[in-house]
Amino acid sequence: MKGFKPSAPFLLLLPAMIVLAAVVVVPLLLSLYSSFTPFRLTKPETFFVFVGFRNYLSILSNTDFWWAFGRTVLLLTIALNLEMLLGLGLAMLVEKATRGQRILRTLMMFPMMFSPILVGFQFKFMFNDNIGLVNNALQSLGLTQDAIPWLIEGHLAFIAISIAEIWSSTAIFAILILAGLLAMPKEPIEAARVDGCTPWQTFRYVTWPFVMPFAYIAMTIRSLDVARAYDIVKIMTDGGPAGRTELLWTLVARTAYSDGRMGMANAMAYFSILLSIAFTVYFFNKLAAARTQIGAEW
Amino acid sequence: MDENSAARLKRRLTGIVYRIGLFLAMLTICLPGLWIVLSSLRPTVEIMAKPPVWIPQDISFDAYVAMFSGIGKGGIPVIEYFRNSLIISVTSTVIAVAIGMAGGYAFARYRFRGKSSVFLGLMLTRTVPGIALSLPLFFLYVRLGIIDTHFGLILAYVALNVPFTIWLIDGFFRQVPKDLAEAAQIDGCTRWQAFWQVEFPLAGPGIASAAIFAFLTCWNEFALASQLTRSVSAKTLPVGLLDYTAEFTIDWRGMCALAVVMIIPALTLTYIVQKHLVGGLTSGAVKG
Repeated sequence: MKGFKPSAPFLLLLPAMIVLAAVVVVPLLLSLYSSFTPFRLTKPETFFVFVGFRNYLSILSNTDFWWAFGRTVLLLTIALNLEMLLGLGLAMLVEKATRGQRILRTLMMFPMMFSPILVGFQFKFMFNDNIGLVNNALQSLGLTQDAIPWLIEGHLAFIAISIAEIWSSTAIFAILILAGLLAMPKEPIEAARVDGCTPWQTFRYVTWPFVMPFAYIAMTIRSLDVARAYDIVKIMTDGGPAGRTELLWTLVARTAYSDGRMGMANAMAYFSILLSIAFTVYFFNKLAAARTQIGAEW
Repeated sequence: MDENSAARLKRRLTGIVYRIGLFLAMLTICLPGLWIVLSSLRPTVEIMAKPPVWIPQDISFDAYVAMFSGIGKGGIPVIEYFRNSLIISVTSTVIAVAIGMAGGYAFARYRFRGKSSVFLGLMLTRTVPGIALSLPLFFLYVRLGIIDTHFGLILAYVALNVPFTIWLIDGFFRQVPKDLAEAAQIDGCTRWQAFWQVEFPLAGPGIASAAIFAFLTCWNEFALASQLTRSVSAKTLPVGLLDYTAEFTIDWRGMCALAVVMIIPALTLTYIVQKHLVGGLTSGAVKG
């Protein structure tokens, strides 16, 4: 920091800064600018018309947008909580295994190898009301006679999307929590057992605080991954039926590419980015707090 | 004696419950994938059959043969897509992990002004989803003439992955006790040697998992790739998947076959890198 000699951390971080500035910051400034214009793809000259906050004001009174906003928050809440629980359970199951842990870990990561777009197609195929695996199984087992319109009825479609989301992303939680469990020193657990802790107490007061930072890392990664939800939703329902599963990013993409209203879409995008930022800052603070706690105990 | 057998029974029961739980969990995870594999081997008539045909009657590799038989015979340029995907993913993973190691090390080992805001700033670049980046990037890339090239996509993917890799690697470097590197330095290592010979091997699991994450992100990315590539010279496999969809119909069998082709390399690679994920190396290293 002193004099003209750049410090070591600055040099170490420089490549990251350069890449991110070139690929993220500059395009973002461009799109920030265009959110203040009535820019339409079909009329390039509108790129240079400045309208101030008009796009943002019209978003405030746009009910479709607020529904999509609410739905995104709902999907995030449901998906993150369930993924967290399932991932923790899965990681502990796999950690307990005495034999074949390597193959179990690979199997556990299986859904992560699926491209979100592939997950979308796969679940669209499985939830197909006519030839899908889910309905076929239900009918063959005699649980129902009707073809359940999974992707055609609004609520069911939302559930189907949540299932696809959770299936594809639980692995991220599981692998990070498992990494935490494996990196954890064994002595505190043994000490707790010797001191007469029940398995639940050992988990609650010894294992969990140690694993927590890893869980928050996973939380943050996932809450940033709303874009992943875009691919899945786009393929499975494309925001349908009648906009019942429209999320922020499908709405942004529709406004941008189908309607060609880039200025408006960029304004919406900035709203959504604010949502992600709020989640990130929240989990980041949690992460920092969890780390301090470990530092104090170990 | 009685207590002993009761305890033994209880232990056995929990063992069985545990195995059933594990089996069910793995089944749920694998079933959708296995269904894809199975569907790629069955004729379309069987996939579409009503009532459903549960036991495959007619297994064949026709879908794979058709896929590789070239354009005009129901095939798609799958070898080119595969090559593009591989080049782009591997290159950007290597670069992103190298940058991530530098950055992660800086965050884990140095104190500097505005550290946590710089860290948060890096993470915030990830809040911008591919779809929002794609249009401004498209404009810039056209201007620079790197649209539809490997380079353009590699650049975008490196930026996409760097915040992740920094974050993950930082977390794993923090787990390596500082005392180890300091001890190595006292024993006569330079800081550079201490890093490569002590801290790097210990943070290995973290770096390996960061690399897996980065590779899978690139291998599977769709929103950016679909905007920034147009032709066989740079299109990746996820974009190629759309070759099987028409306006109202989807060739499920062909798509499943391509999906299998996409998953096999990812599966193999993950399995190979897996063995580095053995953690717990730091435990006892300081105290012992």
